[in-house]
Amino acid sequence: MHTHSKVVLLAAALLAVSSTFALAADKKVAFVPQIIGIPYFDAMEAGGKEAAAKFGVDFIYQGPVDTNPVDQMQIVQNLIDQGVNAVAVSVLDASSIAPVVEAAKAKRVALFTSDSDAPKSGRALYVAQATDEGLGDAIIDEMVKRVGEDAKIGIVSGEATASNLNAWIGFMQARAKAKYPKLKLLEPQFAGGTAQRAAQIATDLMTANPDLKGLIGVASTTCPGVGQAIETAGKIGQVIGTGYCSPNTARAYLKSGSFGYSVLWDPKELGYLTVWAGKQLIDGKEVPATTTPEGMSHPVTYDAKTGVLLLGEPAVFTAQNVDNYKF
Amino acid sequence: MTPRVSPILAILGLLWVVVVTGLAVLKPGAIALSTVTAVLQFSTILALVALGQALVIVCGGAGIDISVGGMVSLAVVLAMLLVKAGLPGVLLPALCLAIGLALGLLNGFLVTRLRLLPLIATLGTFYVYSGAAVALTGGAAQAGVPTYLLPWGRGAVGGLPLPFLTLALPVFVMAGALLHTTSWGRWIYGMGFNERSARLVGIPVDRVRLAAYGASGALAGCAALVSLAWLGGGRPNIGQNLELTSLTAAMLGGIGIFGGRGGVFGVLAAVLLLVTLQTGLLQLNVNTVWQVGIVGTILLIVLLIDNLALIRRTSTACSHVRRQGF
Amino acid sequence: MRAFLQRFGEREALLALGCMVSGLVFSILSPYFATPDNLLTVARNSTELLLIGLGMTLLLGIGGIDVSVGSVLGLAAIGIGRLLEAGAPPALAALAGPVAGLALGVVTAFVVIFGRIPAIVATLGLLGLYRAGIFLALGGSWLSGLPVGLTNLLAARIFGLPFSVLVIALAYAGVFVAVRLTPFGAHLLAIGNSEARARLAGIGVRRVQVAAFVLSGGLCGLAASFYVATYRNVEMTIGATLALEALAAVVLGGTAVTGGRISLLGTAFGVILLRLLQNGLLLVGVPSLWQPVVTGLLLLLVLGAEALWGRLPLERLRQSVVGVAQRGAVR
Repeated sequence: MHTHSKVVLLAAALLAVSSTFALAADKKVAFVPQIIGIPYFDAMEAGGKEAAAKFGVDFIYQGPVDTNPVDQMQIVQNLIDQGVNAVAVSVLDASSIAPVVEAAKAKRVALFTSDSDAPKSGRALYVAQATDEGLGDAIIDEMVKRVGEDAKIGIVSGEATASNLNAWIGFMQARAKAKYPKLKLLEPQFAGGTAQRAAQIATDLMTANPDLKGLIGVASTTCPGVGQAIETAGKIGQVIGTGYCSPNTARAYLKSGSFGYSVLWDPKELGYLTVWAGKQLIDGKEVPATTTPEGMSHPVTYDAKTGVLLLGEPAVFTAQNVDNYKF
Repeated sequence: MTPRVSPILAILGLLWVVVVTGLAVLKPGAIALSTVTAVLQFSTILALVALGQALVIVCGGAGIDISVGGMVSLAVVLAMLLVKAGLPGVLLPALCLAIGLALGLLNGFLVTRLRLLPLIATLGTFYVYSGAAVALTGGAAQAGVPTYLLPWGRGAVGGLPLPFLTLALPVFVMAGALLHTTSWGRWIYGMGFNERSARLVGIPVDRVRLAAYGASGALAGCAALVSLAWLGGGRPNIGQNLELTSLTAAMLGGIGIFGGRGGVFGVLAAVLLLVTLQTGLLQLNVNTVWQVGIVGTILLIVLLIDNLALIRRTSTACSHVRRQGF
Repeated sequence: MRAFLQRFGEREALLALGCMVSGLVFSILSPYFATPDNLLTVARNSTELLLIGLGMTLLLGIGGIDVSVGSVLGLAAIGIGRLLEAGAPPALAALAGPVAGLALGVVTAFVVIFGRIPAIVATLGLLGLYRAGIFLALGGSWLSGLPVGLTNLLAARIFGLPFSVLVIALAYAGVFVAVRLTPFGAHLLAIGNSEARARLAGIGVRRVQVAAFVLSGGLCGLAASFYVATYRNVEMTIGATLALEALAAVVLGGTAVTGGRISLLGTAFGVILLRLLQNGLLLVGVPSLWQPVVTGLLLLLVLGAEALWGRLPLERLRQSVVGVAQRGAVR
């Protein structure tokens, strides 16, 4: 009995001590990507860490190992339970956060989206890299500049179930229909998450359509596959490859010529802005319509009606300027 | 013949204590009712599917069901498509169950009638079911789950999530009762232990096996219903990876891969352990990739220990011919 | 004709017929199918699966299996990629693949055989371990745009044929000789038929089992060399679908999952048919999302048809195993 009560006292003391530690800790902002282990989200993580250091918050980066929304939701739920103050999610689709929105509100956790949105889920706001429309338009416009208005273009996407990728494809198709009616945009094909499948499908598309002039890799995971497929097929110059690829991934193919250009934004900046937005939400500050967050080089805009915090315009990388970027 | 309860349950219990204690020491704030609720909520789908997998494996005959994930995905998709096509939303639970049952019975048919090896039959249906789920919808999530389901899917009573309380738990109790108290249960263990003898004794092996695959399908349908009611939408790849995790949970839960061994409560305990471990690691901010590695290691260690115990048991008893197979 | 079929094996003949018929259908429906470039594409796409399938055939032959083959390929690929990044000569990097694969095969063998854990469960556990290993080894990122040295090396043509074709042919020939003409092969199939009886006959069961797993690992490593050469990219999800695809192809080819009967030619035809279908379907306009469904239907139809209309005569032979060291049917 004597030792028993000693143990209980020790446990109580431990608990008391650790809870005081909890009270004294910094505010926490978390970001949950769609999947870990890809350079794009690694760059967002780097940006988030930088912002966290600057704004005095703790940054937590946790994501699922596969594109399963239940796994993603489990992570979000856990973060909410832990008492993280703001949680940003690049949602695989709306159902990734819908069930936990209420729990988040009850615990006063600011739940918002970044990089990929769930518009009607009740999220606090959406940190957008560029408008989905802007992204779709940019990639089509740049392609037409290079291949002409009546060319045939193929689309290789990643997971068929990723809502943000499908949104961009939708806008690509809308842009083509509205502005370039003679453009032949093929039905998107889905390669999953490996370079091998992307290369296989890209090659088959080129074989099936010898007059193919352009190939768009929609998911960042399809970029190497598409670029390599064009090289292996010996069609550099005949087929212009592109995608939403990071400069590091696209560099080899931009230099070899299989990629004509690549459209992206700076994911590091997006990560930075995400943590900044988290801090604003924690402090209860209103986000102004236009502002330049501390440490950023250009202003960002906010539309209170849709809750969209926009990073800016998409950037176009070419063989000329790709070396200026290191992500 | 009593089904052998393996030392695995003891190991599981020990592991669970280790995990909870570790969590309590490293992050006391995690020991809260909300964590319990979260663990149970996330265990529900896996528990249902793992139970189906366990039933199929216990029946023996190299039983396995690699298509469980595909069945859940396809049940979700077909049920939502049917409701969208005009069937009344109130039928959704029945639809999920019926579709799951049908898919499972197809598996059972391939195994019992066409005598395909379960590994191959369910491999084929895995490709067909999961592929069809994505192809039919083009990958798009199906929104529009009838709103009456959401309070059930997301609600909780006394910290226990409703789907777990009202669906998973009763199902496990029923399965446990079936296996341990009815003659069906004795048949299942008999078939799994020694199929030839079972047939000679007159046990309707094929019918029972067909029923087991059907049950696995129906349970997948239940899991589909839970996912719809919880997420509020139908994702075509919701069943992704469930085949591997349900197999892991079944193995951890003491189900012998050759059949005839193990109980359902071990499976439930294993599922809870896995989800608690996941939750604990997330609370400690351990990278999610480690989860996969740790679970794999635990699986290997648990089976090694179980093997040692088995060797010690059989070396003192009569010789026990170990069945070949994978 | 019948005698020829009997010798050739009904399943292999069926698959070869399937390849020809689908080839014909696709050529009619798409003018781009029957071009040398496209056929070369199909061959190139089949490389990894042919090698991994060969290993899987051996494993099924002894009554085992390995669901972690994709991750073994991944780990080997990382080794190759890192060497290339560090500037190592391409030949060295290419050899690193099989070496890494052999090492991992030893690990797998150890866990399965000395741990006495059923292969399917043991390799399931190892799958998790290897996946975590891949993440660790990649440092959470990718290897992208790897130097072309390896690509040029392995894309070289010898006597007009791509190097990969020669390597694959050599691998298959080597395994065929080993299984048909050496005691190793007879022992392998005997173990697959009945491990207990093989042991009673005095066969060194452990040795053969270890050899099978190690060989399978080595073949995965070899496949990794070709993978890195072709795609120049190693990502975290590398090889995720390969294990089940390989299993499907091998089973399609007539190898028995329960062990004791293997078909190398069948595996080759199975892989080629699968890749042929994937390629052809896309060319004729079937959306890529339907490809897995086709794989599954093919598997079910072929095996279901065999179940309904009678098995290979040799199946009955297997069922009436008398004697001990049975030399199974090998093609």
